[in-house]
Amino acid sequence: MTGKASPPELAGSGPASLEPPGPGSWRRVLTGDDTVAVAERDALGTDARVAVWPPENLRAGCAAVDDVLGALDAQASRFRADSELSWLHRADGGRPPLRERLFLLSDGLAEAVGVALAAARWTGGLADPTVGAALIALGYDRDFAAIGQVPDEPRPAPVPAPGWELVRLDGPLLRLPENVRLDLGATAKGVGSDRAVRAVMSVTEHSGGVLVSLGGDIAVDGTPPRDGWPVTVADGPEHAGSPGAQLIRLTEGAVATSSVTCRCWRRGGQELHHIVDPRTGLPADGPWRTVSAAAATCADANAAATAAMVAGPHAEDWLASTGLPARLVRHDGQVHHLGGWPAADGLPVPVPPGTHVYPGGRR
Amino acid sequence: MDSESGYHGRRVRLPGYDAAEPAESTKAPGDVIRHVRRLSNWTAAALLVGTGAAAVALAHQAIPAAGPAPQAGTTATSPSGASQAGTSGPQVSHSVATTTASGVTVTTTTRTVNGKAVVTQVRNGPVNGDN
Repeated sequence: MTGKASPPELAGSGPASLEPPGPGSWRRVLTGDDTVAVAERDALGTDARVAVWPPENLRAGCAAVDDVLGALDAQASRFRADSELSWLHRADGGRPPLRERLFLLSDGLAEAVGVALAAARWTGGLADPTVGAALIALGYDRDFAAIGQVPDEPRPAPVPAPGWELVRLDGPLLRLPENVRLDLGATAKGVGSDRAVRAVMSVTEHSGGVLVSLGGDIAVDGTPPRDGWPVTVADGPEHAGSPGAQLIRLTEGAVATSSVTCRCWRRGGQELHHIVDPRTGLPADGPWRTVSAAAATCADANAAATAAMVAGPHAEDWLASTGLPARLVRHDGQVHHLGGWPAADGLPVPVPPGTHVYPGGRR
Repeated sequence: MDSESGYHGRRVRLPGYDAAEPAESTKAPGDVIRHVRRLSNWTAAALLVGTGAAAVALAHQAIPAAGPAPQAGTTATSPSGASQAGTSGPQVSHSVATTTASGVTVTTTTRTVNGKAVVTQVRNGPVNGDN
């Protein structure tokens, strides 16, 4: 999966050049430190960012991330008609009264589905990959960038998730009941970041260190900068410089954030967002607008943040039971810290070892 | 084990064995102790030298042929590449990424104007803003 593509061209790779970027091209990001090199590109309906040291690892690192993201998109995208996941949903693998279809998955999708099911088990179903039909019913049936172009329509009745226990995965063999639509949104970007940092460290022969952010879900690997990678925690990218944002240091593992302030749309005159409560099929309606969590793998952090949003008033208890550091922001802006998450700016987040959902994510 | 007295009480010669005791057996107890102590010292010294040599050899093999850039210190990475501590990389002062909801999506369109490709990117921010 890695090392096959030629290093990509970096638009604006000069010290301060900001040439118009091409679709899918990497753009250099000048952060103010020349000891690391940072680039970003559009990917998976959001943005991907890579930071490496030494800076000369950037081109090889970007190529490795391209490979990972390309593969993940082809495997797990719900919005690409040619993805393997879309093929599962279209395929007629069984006939009544079987009511169940059997598929032989690629290694990549089998891993992604396995992580999603492990996340569901770990979170007690709070992060459930069978919310695909619920999201479609809410109108999230296309790439998010296209949702805003659809005129407001009446919202159909909510569709509660049928339940992750109905989905069986045995190695690459998937048993998927009829009409069950998978959405791997609670873990797929985390898996992507975890895979990407591994791939970068592999192509750079484990020299230096790397950070990969996929839509704000961040994993690091290798040797971090002194005191850790500086990472901003915010409700949304446009809030990165706001007073409510926090600067943390990440020396290992990963951090991910879920929020209801983004990916919102309107249906039937109602404001909807993408974090769905599997029990009701409706957008989660808890006291939190944003939850960030740190864990050994980005898939774990991603699942934990999503589960906490769905858990609502029980989020703090559930997060405390996991031992993961977390930062929760209430709708009124009040911030809660758990599990050793630093209260002040510029401090490292203590990431506990071990993974609950992604054994392949190492650490 | 049929003779309790012979086993526990004293040394018993084997039948027909009349030869004199070996020379060592006639040594005073202090001589024996000194001899054993000398042997122990030599053994300990040999073990120390051997352990040191093995440690040096292993350390040599553990250092990668092409290590990190000179900015790096000595903190090693695990075989998987996972970091052990945040003390050996470069100093980085500015934030390199933001963990946030993946809400900002980007639509990229390319059109041709006067024979030139013009790329437009539209970033879709939050609908409901900050509340």
